[in-house]
Amino acid sequence: MQGPAPLRGRPPFALPEDSTIDAILSQLPGQLLDGFVRGLVYVAIALGLTIVFGMLRLVNFAHGAFYAIGAYVGLVVAERYGLAAGLIVAPLAVALFAVVFDRVLLRFFYDKEPTAQILVTFGVALVVQESLRLYFGGTTRSFPIPAALSVPVNLGFTQYPAYRLAFAVGIVAIVLLVWLFIQYTSYGLIVRAGIRDRTMVQLLGGNVALASTIVFALGAGLAGLVGAAASPIYSVDPDTGFSFLVPSFVVVVIGGLGSFWGAVIGGLIVGELQSLTTLVLPAASDVVIYVAMALVLLVRPSGLLGESEVIRG
Amino acid sequence: MAEGPLGDLPGFRPELGGNRFDPNNAIFVLDPIRDKEIPVNVRLKPTRGQFIVGGLAASAAVKFASINVIAAPKTLVVGLNVPQTGPYSDQGQDQLRAYRLAIAEINAKGGVMGMQIEESVGDDQTKAPVAVENARRMIERDGAVMITGGSSTGTAIAVSGLCQEKKTIFMATLTHGDETTDLNCHYHTFRRYNNAHMSAQALAKTLLAKYGTGRWFHITADYAWGHSVFDNLTSVVEPKGAKTIANVLMPLGTTDFSSALSQAQAAKPDVLVITEFGKDMVNALNQSAQFGLTKSAKILVPLADEYMAKGAGDNFDNVVTTAPFYYKYQSDKYPEAKRFVDAFVKKYNSPPSNGAECAYVDMYQWKGGIERAGSLDPKAFIEKMEGFHFTATKGPEYWRAWDHQGINTVMVLEGVPVAGRDDPFAFAKVLEVHDGDAVAIQQSTSKCKIEDS
Repeated sequence: MQGPAPLRGRPPFALPEDSTIDAILSQLPGQLLDGFVRGLVYVAIALGLTIVFGMLRLVNFAHGAFYAIGAYVGLVVAERYGLAAGLIVAPLAVALFAVVFDRVLLRFFYDKEPTAQILVTFGVALVVQESLRLYFGGTTRSFPIPAALSVPVNLGFTQYPAYRLAFAVGIVAIVLLVWLFIQYTSYGLIVRAGIRDRTMVQLLGGNVALASTIVFALGAGLAGLVGAAASPIYSVDPDTGFSFLVPSFVVVVIGGLGSFWGAVIGGLIVGELQSLTTLVLPAASDVVIYVAMALVLLVRPSGLLGESEVIRG
Repeated sequence: MAEGPLGDLPGFRPELGGNRFDPNNAIFVLDPIRDKEIPVNVRLKPTRGQFIVGGLAASAAVKFASINVIAAPKTLVVGLNVPQTGPYSDQGQDQLRAYRLAIAEINAKGGVMGMQIEESVGDDQTKAPVAVENARRMIERDGAVMITGGSSTGTAIAVSGLCQEKKTIFMATLTHGDETTDLNCHYHTFRRYNNAHMSAQALAKTLLAKYGTGRWFHITADYAWGHSVFDNLTSVVEPKGAKTIANVLMPLGTTDFSSALSQAQAAKPDVLVITEFGKDMVNALNQSAQFGLTKSAKILVPLADEYMAKGAGDNFDNVVTTAPFYYKYQSDKYPEAKRFVDAFVKKYNSPPSNGAECAYVDMYQWKGGIERAGSLDPKAFIEKMEGFHFTATKGPEYWRAWDHQGINTVMVLEGVPVAGRDDPFAFAKVLEVHDGDAVAIQQSTSKCKIEDS
């Protein structure tokens, strides 16, 4: 026996007793899968954030609030009508909220400086958070996983929760759908053109205002959907929004502001980094993503796939 | 006559209440000689001579005063410093409810030495720097004479240090790491909640009987409390042959434990110890179930409360844990516990968690100490608290003089499924109740070296 002493207090490494390179390698496939699934959650949240920035040039600090509203709506509906109903109602409700928010408040800030946008969206995020606390109370809530998906699936190299696998498949499908929408629909064309040059699209007669609202609602609906789908995995409380907002910003910064595939790659990088760090130095699993962000900013200030002209706005 | 905190007032009769500096608050009693009602317990207009002498005395008192209170308070401010947001917010909010219940009761019965308690509330967010800033604001701006609160050993240790510096009483409530009354003990800090050492010692028998000595995998909150629990548990079970195969330290506030749990799953442990608290523990335990670990391993949660068990639902079935108080158990045995639980349920419509019970008793203990001292002087209060024996909600208990740890019973509990609960919070059956003295750290092994003042 290795003896208890090295594990006491704050061990620098926390590995099984046979912590050879072989042992780490044997854990690697499971951790890579976990990092991938975890990354997909970030992808789905960051995607909304990044397309909204690309189209509206808006740094949306209320994005986490969309996630939280989705989680609560999903929870309430799911408790009564089942998880599937929650997954349908939550994104619609959040998209509707986003449209109202956009038309009533946000549109007056489109042309304001970024600090004003940050202040107004941050303010709305706080209002949403405290309203949720007022209405639902601060207590943690969660929705049980449907029985059919509550057991782990044996994948050979590891066992992984069935619900998380279904969740991952769903997110991959949604990412593809959003990409198809942007790539192949006429609205997508306006969106892509708007990301390049907003003024020119308007001069050419494109309805940028409507496209902006649609993109904003789409991004919000995505966050709401993820919020509802994740409530059986993570417990829900009024602070939930902010706890996902921060890593999502890291994802967007790493991937490149406004870049679709940047968000995807950034999300997967952040997920894998967190998972692999937990294998060797779990205490650093939070910090590592900020280190990664700092490195990316030093080497490629516009993010991995970000275009400098997009940033210039 | 009791020596008041604000100097002597001839003829002052504390049993009559009133505020001796407030003419509007005067109490009238019948003077049998003059046969008319006269105001007592209040200084009315002083004579010119009294004014000059009093003024000089007051200036001298201000110049040389070492205690906090130099003005005449009509109210006493206490600082309630608990997490209302963040991973331990369920526990913090429940403590706040209990503090407010106690304050309302005390104020309705005349306050503390005739002074009404007023609250200054802060949300410490389970972050030590925020907790310290809150406490500093409560003391410096609001004139708080006592700080109380907790939910995390990290915040408790930090606030304890500040209160020592400020010479302000700190009634640490929900803090379970040893350090609060061990390595980082302070003269001005009292902690009634049991600590990790007491939990581990109380668990020893059950652990070996139910969990055996196989391979133990730990997931531990990475701060003072988690480390303290890990050290205590391993020092109890390892000498008996249990093998610690890993200790994955997770940052406070982690929502996704999947990477730690996939490691646990690959390691195929006999026992999975989840040393997490609040929402972190709920997430960790529920996610363990998703990974199949609640079936393949025995789960140990060294410390839990009603909110955590409610959040974990059926996943808490069969899980062994410890707690200093469980409303179902004590309210059947002790009338004071029943009175407290009933009042709490009546006011808030939910039973008190164990942290709330500690908050409630702490508020009354502070009131009692102040009244026994007859003074707001912290030193006089502390002298009256050290070694003080009392019975409140859980049978006889006392404050240990040399480390200011409350010595009271520790329970070992086992979770029951949701279907077997009377209400969603009735999460457990009591396996054992341990006498505090039998499981507490002894002076010979303690690292506590408390200050003289």
